[in-house]
Amino acid sequence: MIEFAYPLALLSLLAVPILIALHLLRPRRRRIVLSTTTLWQAALKEREPKLGLRSMLRNLSLLLLLASAAALGVALAGPHWLTRTSEDADTVLVLDVSASMKTRSGIGKTRFDLALAEAFDIVDGLPREGRMLVMTSGRKAVLRTGFEADRDALRRALRELRTGDEAGRPREALALALSLLRGRNQGRIYFVTDGAFDRDVDPGSPQVAFRVVGEPARNVAITRFDFRQELASEERYQVLMTVRNYTDAPLVVPASVSLDDRVLFRRPLTLAAHAEQTVVLPFTGRARGQAIARIDVDDDLAADNQAYAAVYTDDTLRVLLLTRGNFYLESVLEALPNLVLVKRDGSPAEDIARLALDYDVVVLDGIEAPRLPAGNFLLVNTVAPGLPFSDSGRLVRPGPLVRGQSALMRDADLTAVRVDQARRIVIDKPAAGLQRLFWSRESDLALALLDADVKLVYLGFDLARSNFPLQAAFPLFFSRSLEWLRPRGDGFVSTHVEAGSTQTIVLPAGETRVTLRMPSGKSESLESEGGSALFDATADAGIYQYTVGEITRYFAVSLTDARESDVNNRWAPGEPRKEAQPAGKGVQALVPLWPPLLLLALLLLALEWCVWTGSRNRA
Amino acid sequence: MAMTLLNAPAAGRDLVFDDEFLRKLEQLELLARKIFRGLLRGDHTTSRRGRGLEFSDFRHYRPGDDFRHIDWNIYSRLDQLFLKLHASEDDVTLHLILDTSASMRFGDPSKFDHARRLAAALAYIALHNLDRVGVSAFSEGLGAALPPIKTRHHMARLLTFLGELPCAGVTRFDSALGAFAMRTRNPGLVILISDLLGAGEIQHGIDALCYGGHDVVVIQLLAESEIDPALDGALRMVDAETGDEVDATVDEELRSLYQRSLQRHLQEMESFCRRRSVEYLRASTAIAFEDVLLKYLRQGVHLR
Repeated sequence: MIEFAYPLALLSLLAVPILIALHLLRPRRRRIVLSTTTLWQAALKEREPKLGLRSMLRNLSLLLLLASAAALGVALAGPHWLTRTSEDADTVLVLDVSASMKTRSGIGKTRFDLALAEAFDIVDGLPREGRMLVMTSGRKAVLRTGFEADRDALRRALRELRTGDEAGRPREALALALSLLRGRNQGRIYFVTDGAFDRDVDPGSPQVAFRVVGEPARNVAITRFDFRQELASEERYQVLMTVRNYTDAPLVVPASVSLDDRVLFRRPLTLAAHAEQTVVLPFTGRARGQAIARIDVDDDLAADNQAYAAVYTDDTLRVLLLTRGNFYLESVLEALPNLVLVKRDGSPAEDIARLALDYDVVVLDGIEAPRLPAGNFLLVNTVAPGLPFSDSGRLVRPGPLVRGQSALMRDADLTAVRVDQARRIVIDKPAAGLQRLFWSRESDLALALLDADVKLVYLGFDLARSNFPLQAAFPLFFSRSLEWLRPRGDGFVSTHVEAGSTQTIVLPAGETRVTLRMPSGKSESLESEGGSALFDATADAGIYQYTVGEITRYFAVSLTDARESDVNNRWAPGEPRKEAQPAGKGVQALVPLWPPLLLLALLLLALEWCVWTGSRNRA
Repeated sequence: MAMTLLNAPAAGRDLVFDDEFLRKLEQLELLARKIFRGLLRGDHTTSRRGRGLEFSDFRHYRPGDDFRHIDWNIYSRLDQLFLKLHASEDDVTLHLILDTSASMRFGDPSKFDHARRLAAALAYIALHNLDRVGVSAFSEGLGAALPPIKTRHHMARLLTFLGELPCAGVTRFDSALGAFAMRTRNPGLVILISDLLGAGEIQHGIDALCYGGHDVVVIQLLAESEIDPALDGALRMVDAETGDEVDATVDEELRSLYQRSLQRHLQEMESFCRRRSVEYLRASTAIAFEDVLLKYLRQGVHLR
């Protein structure tokens, strides 16, 4: 099967009918009437076997021109022959693009440069019909090509690769590579890396061949950097910075922290060999802006010599409502000030952990709740597993409601509240952080829980089957619950994320587009999906700026990974493994056809010239 | 000369037979007389037994036979009754069958004109020989026919008939000659004048004439352009009868193949006629008709 890279180029084949039309413009046949044509037909029939060859020879020049034009036209269309090749001979090339690959190795080169050269050698050494898939191993494993037989395509893909400031996760990349070759016993995986990872990364498969590049290197790195507000005072802050010396010699490293243009801290840190030092620096004043920590050291990896944090005030409470539809709940949440509400349908089981991180509060209304990760939750008419209380059935028209002494229920009048049906709650184990908010004779109807990871408020009945939404206590209950779930204080936020991770940007109601400006100066626009936009092009460390409507916010991306900054090879290959040989059944692969077609067109043109010259000489 | 041909009716004379031809025909009469001197008795013995004077054979008497034919001399010698048989003495009817299809228009002079002149000459000689002469035309089917005439006084009528014959249509030998054989009750000498080019099985048509009891003579007329065509280059050939078109680039090789094909066709016709004991004569329009006639008269076996 033939495919074309540039099908529009086939339009050049229109030259063929033009050539034929020109050929047809030759003088027409003379018409003559004869007594009979029977004898002529018999003569022609007798000459017929010779006629094809004779006619072809007479029109040889035209035929060669046509064939040449057709070959050239098809070549321009970039045809590929879909052929069958050995599936078992497939190769996966995994290239390490983690931050450690930026380490200097030789003069003017990095480990990544060496790795690319090694990768090109592997491509050049592929079997004739072998196919290769290129993937990168950073914080995520990314497929850069499919299984490709076109060497040029593979080289192009390699040339487009670059390394970022991400901490590598080679174990995941190798697991993915092995899954791609599942069932292909002779398939091979080349992992081109600097070996700056732990020994347990090696899956021990005979299919995996490690190609280690780079030399031992010296490195000193900032491995932690953060801002936090002191609990006692809203005007007092702390800067946390950890610097680690990975060299064999003690060092004195000048370190500094600045907030916008203001230097908060500058002093030398004395580091023993293979030791780290953490400094906590208190300061008073307004903590707003872009914070950068630096160490002034000439080591082999510069990427971890600075770290970033975006510090700002944000009063907005980001609430995710997971519901099948609840008019009262949506109305009361939308009515609360400084609250960005994002509503979604369906079960959150798969990504509840990420959602709990992305949103200040996650509200689950009447849907099956999964086991809750760390975060702030408001459960309405649903009980999650793993909590100190559990659901033990239905309760019809529970008796008069009794309000507890919790601050959440202060001034809330529940005397007129009537509930048609509620969940019967059983407290399985007493917990210190469990507060009873209100209850009936039969069961608790509202609880608050504060433990090490989870902070939640539970309301045990369907709002639509009670008159609670019609009572003054209703907005009061939810306002206080949300306030309790995430005390806002003055809204101080210090954001920094790991390079290569996905950042969720929550958009206010009515906004659907967010514009991002990256440290390199490039801009990118994202469309929101369900009230939030996911941004994962965070390979480079630095301050990222995003604008939603008229609001501009920042988030910082840093390496700050102690394991990634340990750039020396911590891995040594085990016993030499026998390399697999390609063999076995075939699969489809693309082979470019334009070079032989171009050559054919040129040959035909040369032949036509010879024929034309010969006929002219004869004439 | 019993009849002045130059006084023949204007129609035939003007259209086909010009004065020169008529003069040639009159000269031919003299020539014919010279060649057939002593034979022009006005009678022909036939293979049929009849009442002629010429003895043919004896056979045993069978009841019912005419007593007058009993040979009494033999009876007196052998005491057995034998009948004395005599050959029949009938006059011969000459049937001239002319091909009037479109292909006969070709040649210079045309094969059609040549055929008509040849027919007129043969008719003249036959009438002079006291034979009956009928003329029939055919193309796709049997066309116009002139009933047999006996005397030379009707020669002018024959010329008029020939002069008014059309020349068009497709040749269908089998159907046309088959119809002639079916229609003709008195078998005689049939002279078929045609180019023998056309559709239909020629052999079937000649067979039909033979089965009808006729003695058949075939005169095949070909134009010089058919024997040696002066064609060259890229041509679209159109068949005059069927309208079929054939594209061909005529070169020396193709002309040679045509010649070979023509020779094969002529040889097939000749060998077929030989197998059927049909006299076959081939002529070109480039040869004067009187030369053809003389050659025919000298070589032919039917007119003695």
